[in-house]
Amino acid sequence: MSYLDVIDTLQSIADGVLFGATYSLLGIGFTLVFGVMHKINLSYAAASIGAAYASLIVLSVVKAPAIFIFMLAGLSGGIIGFVIYVVCFRFIPQANPLATLMSTVGALLLIDEIIVHATVGIPVPYPALFSDVIVNAGSFTLRGDLMFMFALGCLSMLLLLVLLYRTKLGIATRAVAQQSVAAQLCGISIPRINGLTFVITGVVGGIAGAMIGAAIGVLSPLLSLPLTTKGLIVTVIGGLGSIPGAIIAGLLVGGFENLFQYFRGVTERDLYVMLLLFVFLVFRPGGIFSPAAGRD
Amino acid sequence: MLKVSLSDDIPALEPGAKFRIIADFAAYDAVADREGNVMIKKSLTIIAALGAFAGAVVAVPAEAQERAVKIAGFGAKSGVVRVFGINSEAALKAALEQINNAGGVTLGDGTKGKIALEYYDDRCNAEEGISVVRRIASTEAIIAVGPTCSNVAESLFGILQKKVGDSSDSGLQFPIIADVAAKGGLAKISEWAFRNVPSEFEMYKSLFAWVKTQYPDVKTIYGGVEKDFAHSNATFGVIKAQAEAGGLQLLGQGEWLLNDTTFSTQVREMKRANADVVAISAHPFTTCGVLKEMQRQGVKPKLLIGLTSSSSIETLQGCGVQAEGIVIPTSFAPVTPEAAKAAEQVAKFGGSADLHSAAAYEIGFILKTVIESQKVMGKPDTVAADREKMRAGLAALKETDGLLGKVGRTADREAIKPFLFVHAKDSTWKVLHRPGS
Repeated sequence: MSYLDVIDTLQSIADGVLFGATYSLLGIGFTLVFGVMHKINLSYAAASIGAAYASLIVLSVVKAPAIFIFMLAGLSGGIIGFVIYVVCFRFIPQANPLATLMSTVGALLLIDEIIVHATVGIPVPYPALFSDVIVNAGSFTLRGDLMFMFALGCLSMLLLLVLLYRTKLGIATRAVAQQSVAAQLCGISIPRINGLTFVITGVVGGIAGAMIGAAIGVLSPLLSLPLTTKGLIVTVIGGLGSIPGAIIAGLLVGGFENLFQYFRGVTERDLYVMLLLFVFLVFRPGGIFSPAAGRD
Repeated sequence: MLKVSLSDDIPALEPGAKFRIIADFAAYDAVADREGNVMIKKSLTIIAALGAFAGAVVAVPAEAQERAVKIAGFGAKSGVVRVFGINSEAALKAALEQINNAGGVTLGDGTKGKIALEYYDDRCNAEEGISVVRRIASTEAIIAVGPTCSNVAESLFGILQKKVGDSSDSGLQFPIIADVAAKGGLAKISEWAFRNVPSEFEMYKSLFAWVKTQYPDVKTIYGGVEKDFAHSNATFGVIKAQAEAGGLQLLGQGEWLLNDTTFSTQVREMKRANADVVAISAHPFTTCGVLKEMQRQGVKPKLLIGLTSSSSIETLQGCGVQAEGIVIPTSFAPVTPEAAKAAEQVAKFGGSADLHSAAAYEIGFILKTVIESQKVMGKPDTVAADREKMRAGLAALKETDGLLGKVGRTADREAIKPFLFVHAKDSTWKVLHRPGS
């Protein structure tokens, strides 16, 4: 292996890990909803991209700084998240796991089609911060926008962990996740916590959507399905319901994805990512961080 | 109470049908008198009268209507390539409006008729496309214009009868003329299939011949291709072959998928190759992703060449700055009075004229010519015969009028369209060169 090959390998891993922060955020969204409601929200990635699109509405009216657009994406994500909760979960029988699964598939397709109709499928430019900053260390380079994206992703994860482990809302959320009947007996409103969980994950998703748009430079409805797949892979590899697991798995999948692409080409890349998933399902089905078993 | 219904002796609403208003005012009066609500009675009487009037207006007598020759259009009107369908439909409508406003078409029996269009969505999906065409074939449409996606065209043309008159072939006997599906050589699949699509082989052959004269110092080329899209992938083969035939040495190629999000690995390899020319065979979303990554990594080739389909407004909207200077061959630009008028008309119907939709616009006029020359009748009982006439008429064409000039027709039902080279300049497409001019 030549010096350039080593640099390219490291570069691929670094780029992948930095972009993997968005996978981590998506994985957190999937895993948090699963942890609290024991349901999969398949519309999550589409809603995240939808939130990023929604944040651009303000740009069509006034010129706004990129960071404001990112915050607006988080806010839009929260609203969309709540709407998805009401439409796909609140009034759907919870006893039938397929019912909510299918309703979220419907929401995924609906959000996608709304985006397509609103934009005629044309890619829409998305603002980025530090896109002109490149850190060079010999042949090794790091993109400023990806580093900012990674930092923003880490900050969002940190805030989420503080929210979950240092606030009453977080305690209530974790209580519902661990023992919903006992939580209810303690006076915690399950629908309220479920709704709030969707708002929180929606905000995280909105930020993830904005980061993805900023990293690529354009938004397209083409992004929803592959990101849904990546989010689910991250959730399984990280361990269903485990937030630290989702964070690590997101970075891992991002890094491996780029590494496989470098060594095996784009046509085989996803094959190896799927193989990674199967390896985990066979040898460590609980994921990297299997959550401690509840009393049930 | 008040009931409004169709008369029992009129089974369905047809031209000439009359509405009958059955108002059971006796029952209503009892209630109205009891409640003393005369206002309601008056309101309902007015509504009933308006209903009768509307019925009379809507149901125009059959003899007053002109005969309509029905044609169908189909393409992607949903999904990520929805823009193709939107533009195609707008272009067809614009062309047909021109034709119909100018008196329509002369039918086989000498009467004048209008061309009526119904447009269907195939979602750029092969199965959906086949199902849509089977549905169209069950209507009175005498021909279908579409599809917009090569993957749909490839599968769809396969269900048509291969050779006309082959009684052992039970394939669908229905003429289809493609406006957008650009993958080369598709019309060969069936004698019922036609295309008014530019030949990318000729376009890139001419482009690389021009490059040789205009950029004599360029010697090497690096390619980038969207591997999982039929058109991009097939056209990349054409670009590669023509570049090598033009004396350029291919140093390598980067590959990515239609919905990829990062391109750093591919562009790094591109940078290392340091080729004089970079050719990107991809649609606007990934073209923009790659161009932005090229800008980040400081990849500046002497010449940038793009895919025909990227010479559209999407590329400029997505990455106008990064696309600056990219050269693309195209069969449409508003450089003639006809083309400028077509662009204006298509915009009126909410579409944008580009190399794809301009083909649909031209098809509208080709169909008029064929309908008149083949003496199409446009009657419900002549549908099968009219379809055969349309097929025969299209097959017999040697030349048609195009927006940029005369369009030749080949024996295997393809078009030889005039084309030109455009380049992105200040986030607009500007004509760079007209071959043959």
